[in-house]
Amino acid sequence: MPGGDFHPFFFVVIAAWILVCGLGVVLFRNIIYSAVSMVFCFLGVAFAYALLNAELVAIVQILIYVGATSVVILFAIMLTEVQQSYGQLFHRQAIFAAPLAVAAAVVMTVMVVSTELVDVGDTSLNLSVHALSSLLFNRYVFPFELVSLVLLAAMIGAIVLARRQGEKR
Amino acid sequence: MSPLDWWLLLAMLLFCIGAFGVLARRNTIVVIMSLELMLNAVNIALVAIAQFRAGSQGAGVLFSLFVITLAAAEVTVGLGIVIANYRAKRTVENDHFDEMKG
Amino acid sequence: MEAADSMKIAVILIVLLPLVGFITTLLFGKRMGGKAHIVPVALVTVTAALAVYAFGWVFQHQEEPFVWDAFSWIVAGRYHASWGFQVDTLTGIMLLVVGIIGMLTHYYSIGYMRGDGGYYRFFAYLNLFMFAMYMLILADNFLLLFLGWEGVGLCSYLLIGFWFDRKSASQAGKKAFLVNRVGDFGFTLGMFLVLVTTGTLQFAGVFDKAETIGAGTLLWICLLLFTGAVGKSAQFPLHVWLPDAMEGPTPVSALIHAATMVNAGVYMVARAYPLFAQSETAMLVVMVVGTFTAIFAACIAITQNDIKKVIAYSTISSLGFMFMALGAGAWVAGIFYLFVHGFFKGLLFLCSGSVIHAMGGEQDMRKMGGLRTRIPVTFWTMLIAAVALVGIFPLSGFWAKDEILGGAFAHGYYVVWLVGIVTAFLTAVFAFRMMFMTFWGESRADAEVQAHIHESPKVMTVPLVLLAIPAAAVGAVVGWPPEAGWIHRFLDPVFFAVEHEEFEWLGTGGALMAVSLAVALLGVYLAYVLYLRRRELPERLAARVPWAYEASLRKMYMDDIYEVVPVRSTIAFSRFLWTGFDVHVIDGAVNGIARLWGWFGDRLRPLQTGRVHNYAFGILAGALALVVIVGWVWGI
Repeated sequence: MPGGDFHPFFFVVIAAWILVCGLGVVLFRNIIYSAVSMVFCFLGVAFAYALLNAELVAIVQILIYVGATSVVILFAIMLTEVQQSYGQLFHRQAIFAAPLAVAAAVVMTVMVVSTELVDVGDTSLNLSVHALSSLLFNRYVFPFELVSLVLLAAMIGAIVLARRQGEKR
Repeated sequence: MSPLDWWLLLAMLLFCIGAFGVLARRNTIVVIMSLELMLNAVNIALVAIAQFRAGSQGAGVLFSLFVITLAAAEVTVGLGIVIANYRAKRTVENDHFDEMKG
Repeated sequence: MEAADSMKIAVILIVLLPLVGFITTLLFGKRMGGKAHIVPVALVTVTAALAVYAFGWVFQHQEEPFVWDAFSWIVAGRYHASWGFQVDTLTGIMLLVVGIIGMLTHYYSIGYMRGDGGYYRFFAYLNLFMFAMYMLILADNFLLLFLGWEGVGLCSYLLIGFWFDRKSASQAGKKAFLVNRVGDFGFTLGMFLVLVTTGTLQFAGVFDKAETIGAGTLLWICLLLFTGAVGKSAQFPLHVWLPDAMEGPTPVSALIHAATMVNAGVYMVARAYPLFAQSETAMLVVMVVGTFTAIFAACIAITQNDIKKVIAYSTISSLGFMFMALGAGAWVAGIFYLFVHGFFKGLLFLCSGSVIHAMGGEQDMRKMGGLRTRIPVTFWTMLIAAVALVGIFPLSGFWAKDEILGGAFAHGYYVVWLVGIVTAFLTAVFAFRMMFMTFWGESRADAEVQAHIHESPKVMTVPLVLLAIPAAAVGAVVGWPPEAGWIHRFLDPVFFAVEHEEFEWLGTGGALMAVSLAVALLGVYLAYVLYLRRRELPERLAARVPWAYEASLRKMYMDDIYEVVPVRSTIAFSRFLWTGFDVHVIDGAVNGIARLWGWFGDRLRPLQTGRVHNYAFGILAGALALVVIVGWVWGI
């Protein structure tokens, strides 16, 4: 199979891992638990990529999400010095949000199930890193440069936002 | 049910969990974490479709890479805003921020 | 017809040079200070020479007018307006009047306006006026004529209100402008009707089709065009602006409000001769309006004390005479009178300016007197102008006026002739009342003013003398012998269907001439008795018929009628529109709509909670709804 052999066993294990950790992020009262749960969730997603034979994405996932984003979030938690959510965990809006999420799940399930997506070509789509990078730096070089600009803007924005008021040279 | 369908169902469920977190949690940092879950869900869908379907020629994989990059930027800015807000109000619970009320 | 190239150049220069003068003077005049007149005066002199050249050209080519479609102006669908020029004999006559009097007035103004704060501005406006006036008479279509027509109107407005820091002057300017709007509105409608009926505004094109236009339409065209002429040439009931226009500097009164611009109405009617000649009713209207205005204005002039007001009403009366002539079918006589009138009336105004100059700005004749020996040049030139105006043999006015009266009589309009004779009599009385009050008797001015009385400088008196020559002689030169003079033959190509009466010295013509001369002399004698010999008589006369005296002095209450009928009612109506309609209905509607949306917005405001998770909920719910709807529609 082009997407790698589908191992139901591994799939079920990883899917359960991801979903449980995701629920943990949303449901834990202690924000540190949420954060740790998120890190594990990201890790699970990385394994999912590996299972899909997308090694590059899996590595990038671990590098950026597990390595960088998680650390940034932990920093933010420490800086805000609120380890625990006191009082209400959810808004009152949650009683509408839960049915909405369930409804979204139902609708999308219906769509996934009712749509014939199994149209697999004969080519092996398991592109090598070499092929991917040549694609990135030729055909997709313009989005690539744009993304670099977005990163620059985000960096400047983050510095401006995080600087204390009145702290001017 | 083909394997792709299963992957898509997984992505869909993770997306809905994240969406619920975004809508229901009061803590802004958790909201941002939930947002990351949603983005990851989308990425799973992208990579799965790219690996199972012909003709995408790596676009799905590259697109997920772009999403990861942009998500990192988004987290940086979002948390910057959270910290700035925290400095102003000593809280990260987003129902305290209603200055834009009409 | 291929026109001579030299003529093309001349015509273009005639139009352009004054415009150049206007622009340069406006831009650089201020820096030149007291020398600001050099450029405009030089250009106008050259222009006058070119005008005389153009006249000479016409003189040699009387039967073929110079017509030159210079270039396109507006092209819209089937309509095509062009800058086209036409010089025929009628234009030639006008060119002489405008060119010579315009030039002399410019020279005169150098002295008259010296030291005025707006010196350069004055000459700029005068040059702009010359441009517009030349445009008016050289145009070969109604639209271009209208351009000049409005241009001279604009300059008239600017120059009447030249001393705009005087409230009366700026008011008079506005009055002239507004009253002329009424006439111009009619003129515009007339042009539209011409365009709709004949499909062109080109004189030649319109006149070619004159005979094919239906009688009713033609009458309307003529009446509407004549409305414009009534406004511009100050005929009853739109004459009220001209007396007030005397607020402007005297050279302006002479050039614009006596010799050139006010003649534009007469010129236009004469130009539209092929149209008017087809419609007897229109001719009758022209004649009646002209005749009535002639005697009406003369009745007012007889009691006015302001020297310029007298001449102004005299001008209105004279213009009435011209329309009388045109309406009676004495076309040539009307233009003949226009021609000579330009010279002697312009001269009369310039002389009055010289008198005012001598008196240190005083315009009230009751405070003058005895100036005959103090300012002799002014006196003699003004006497010539007055005698010419009154129409005493052999000066200019005699020939022209007599021809008008003779024409009216010959065409069977005996009442018109009678009114004309009475008007001539009144003209003689008020003209010499003015002369006697100003130049004879003892001086009634203050001692201080007395001491400063002086003859005007050469730059003013020389134009007076130069203008006095044509004022005295031109009538006899071009109009001799009566009904068969040079001007009659000259204007034949324009008024192609007019037949000349046989003039009999020992018949009706001679008798009428004798009557009008006698009446004029009688008028002069009456003025002599009333205002020189027995000066207590006028007051006793006024006391005997106070209502008549009062009516005349108050200008037949025309200004009061205008004040009540159009002005007050308009103000009252406007006030109603303001306080009633605008405040309540318009503002009410506008504010009501604003309040409605305000109310609506208040109801919607709670939706904007300011909390980001509420918005996120909206986004997700909306997206889901979209997916469901799209899925439903596509039947997935």
